Amino acid sequence: MKKQMLLLMMVVLLMGSVLAGCGNTDETGGAESGDAKTINFLHWRGEDTEAFNAIIEKFEEENPDINVEMNALPSDSYIANASATLLSGKGADVFASFPGSQFEALQESGAYVELGDQAFIDRFSENMLGAGQKDGKQLAVPYQLVYNIPVYNKGVFDELGIEPPKDWDGFLEVSQTLKDNGYDPILFAGDVSPSQFINPMVMNNQPSDEAFAKLETGDEKLTNDWFVKTLSQIKELNDKGYFQKDPLGTKKEGAAALFAQEKGAMLALGSYMMATVAEQNPDIEQGLLSPITVSEDEMKYEGIHTSTFMLGVNSKSEHQKEALKFIEFLTKPEIASEYANATGQLLTVKDVEYDSPELTETAAWLDKKTLFQPRYTLSKEQVSKAIETAIQDVLSGVEPEEAAKKAQEEVDRAIK
Amino acid sequence: MQSNNNVERVGGARVASPYVASTAKKRKKKWNWALFFFVLPGFIIYSVFFAGPTVAALFLSFTDWNGIAPTFNYVGFSNYTNMLTDDPIFVQSLGNNLKFTLGVLIFQTVLSLFFAMLLVKNTKANIFYRAVYFFPTIVASVSVAFVWTFMYDPNIGVINNILSAVGLESLAKSWLGDRNIAIYSLAFVQFWAHTGQMLIIFVAGLHAIPKELYEAAEIEGASKWQTFKSITWPLLAPSATIVVAYTTIQSFKAFDLVIAMTGGGPSYATEILSTFLYHEAFINFRFGYASAAAVIFMIIIAIVTVLQFRLLKSNDVKF
Repeated sequence: MKKQMLLLMMVVLLMGSVLAGCGNTDETGGAESGDAKTINFLHWRGEDTEAFNAIIEKFEEENPDINVEMNALPSDSYIANASATLLSGKGADVFASFPGSQFEALQESGAYVELGDQAFIDRFSENMLGAGQKDGKQLAVPYQLVYNIPVYNKGVFDELGIEPPKDWDGFLEVSQTLKDNGYDPILFAGDVSPSQFINPMVMNNQPSDEAFAKLETGDEKLTNDWFVKTLSQIKELNDKGYFQKDPLGTKKEGAAALFAQEKGAMLALGSYMMATVAEQNPDIEQGLLSPITVSEDEMKYEGIHTSTFMLGVNSKSEHQKEALKFIEFLTKPEIASEYANATGQLLTVKDVEYDSPELTETAAWLDKKTLFQPRYTLSKEQVSKAIETAIQDVLSGVEPEEAAKKAQEEVDRAIK
Repeated sequence: MQSNNNVERVGGARVASPYVASTAKKRKKKWNWALFFFVLPGFIIYSVFFAGPTVAALFLSFTDWNGIAPTFNYVGFSNYTNMLTDDPIFVQSLGNNLKFTLGVLIFQTVLSLFFAMLLVKNTKANIFYRAVYFFPTIVASVSVAFVWTFMYDPNIGVINNILSAVGLESLAKSWLGDRNIAIYSLAFVQFWAHTGQMLIIFVAGLHAIPKELYEAAEIEGASKWQTFKSITWPLLAPSATIVVAYTTIQSFKAFDLVIAMTGGGPSYATEILSTFLYHEAFINFRFGYASAAAVIFMIIIAIVTVLQFRLLKSNDVKF
């Protein structure tokens, strides 16, 4: 009996120590070696790990009293996994966040330290900082810049002697020419394009940076003319066969593969696909264009941009000074250039030197009149999803008015 | 005998008991702490990883917590009433889940039983085929989803290309893009991935049926259908119960396949309860609402499972 009890006690103690070991990871994760302090950098760009590691090495050389531990989570479940870490204050001193509803939710919970008085703010293009502001406070700095407008094959356009169109009639004409010459004019990815293509389609039909945001206050409705017109134009493109076969069944990877194989001329995604396409087909010459849905003289915006990968410092961090130092380092033009060229990302930081044709092409859009992605002005994801679903409905054969009505009902439920 | 202190007689059998009878006259019950420690590790794990989160979900279902903010408000039953009376997406998700589960349940049960009967004998070829059928079960579901997404692709996918190549272009579909068939396309992948698993359960069940019964049936001149109807199926009831219950729960809880292949689209045509509550919690930041969905989800699974057990238990045959 004594032996039995002893054995049991040992089992219980062993289990206890295993559980205790599990619970101790945070403490060891944030442990300091010697006098050096360790800060944690949390983001979702696993593909940039190598580039960040090289930069972190340089940072640690320059700041021997600070160690940086990086943790990259999958982007689609980023907030799901990161929220507990952020709230605990351990495991994320510097963190990246998406603009829009995710930023809203995090700022509501007081996750950010205000960055407005930091000197590195001056290194950013001023018009790119808005996504990280709330009530006049700069809570996060958007590091990356993407253009959410179609990528086009310059070689195909040159071969057919066509130019990027400047109005809606021109867009239809170019699409017809491409179709007549055996190309799929627009490659549409059913899983991603609805949330991307809607932005340039709507930017001149309702040329306001608050068009979508007003949906949440009830000042705009999806049943209004501008949205029904946008859906009707998407239907027109679909009815005329300007999208490839079965756009809703085609995934992002499939659409990108068709574009890289030069079977289609426009890819309805964004500048962030250019590096991927260039990897698949190094000979392809890519550019960016927008579908202008009005006449040339009515056009207000030339394209859509999104400043994202918003870097912030955790308000619960015990190492805020060191975390700010790390962001300051990342925003140095020479470090930002290194990151941009290693990862193929366009950045919001000024004076960055790009060395690839895709980045050079994209950087040219910095001087154009572009609108911040309307979808990211929404704080409620249900509203964004209602808009996306309306497009999927239209591509499934639902009439634009009916799809708009259904979407507005969903918006009404979300803002109730 | 000394050891009698630790045993009781239950239904004629001698079993260990936490209570000890000190004398025949005076049955004074004592708590045996040794047995308590045996249960403790399992109890702790169950409490921390199952009971705790379940109670927490029930509590959160009465709040408007967004999953991040340190504060929340109590909203009573409004999450439940809104979901059941004014949320067409929840209703659609439930409908999709039923279609998905029913499709998988019927095909997976029937075909796994069919293949099990074909492969019941332990020949080398049969063992090889059983392994082949079982193989998809051990592949990570995200990998399965990735492969099938490419196979279903309308432009570069192998399925439509093969159909076109053999002159059956009219059968080529928008497998994941057509709202009317996308959920069945997903159900087919779920069925493909898990049929082998159910096949093994049925094979084990078939091996447990006494051969003498088949010999007697043969002597009596029973046909194959009569043998199946009167011997195989009734005696397979315990295996069928496991297969049906497991398939149902597995199909209701299917998540990774749906998220990876369609994300619930197009137009919520493949949104099921598990993806609905994920979207509500981590995309829409309505953790309280998602918790209410989780509670309803749990109740539905519990009801369906109990009904199935009762239904199939009534077919049990003792021999």
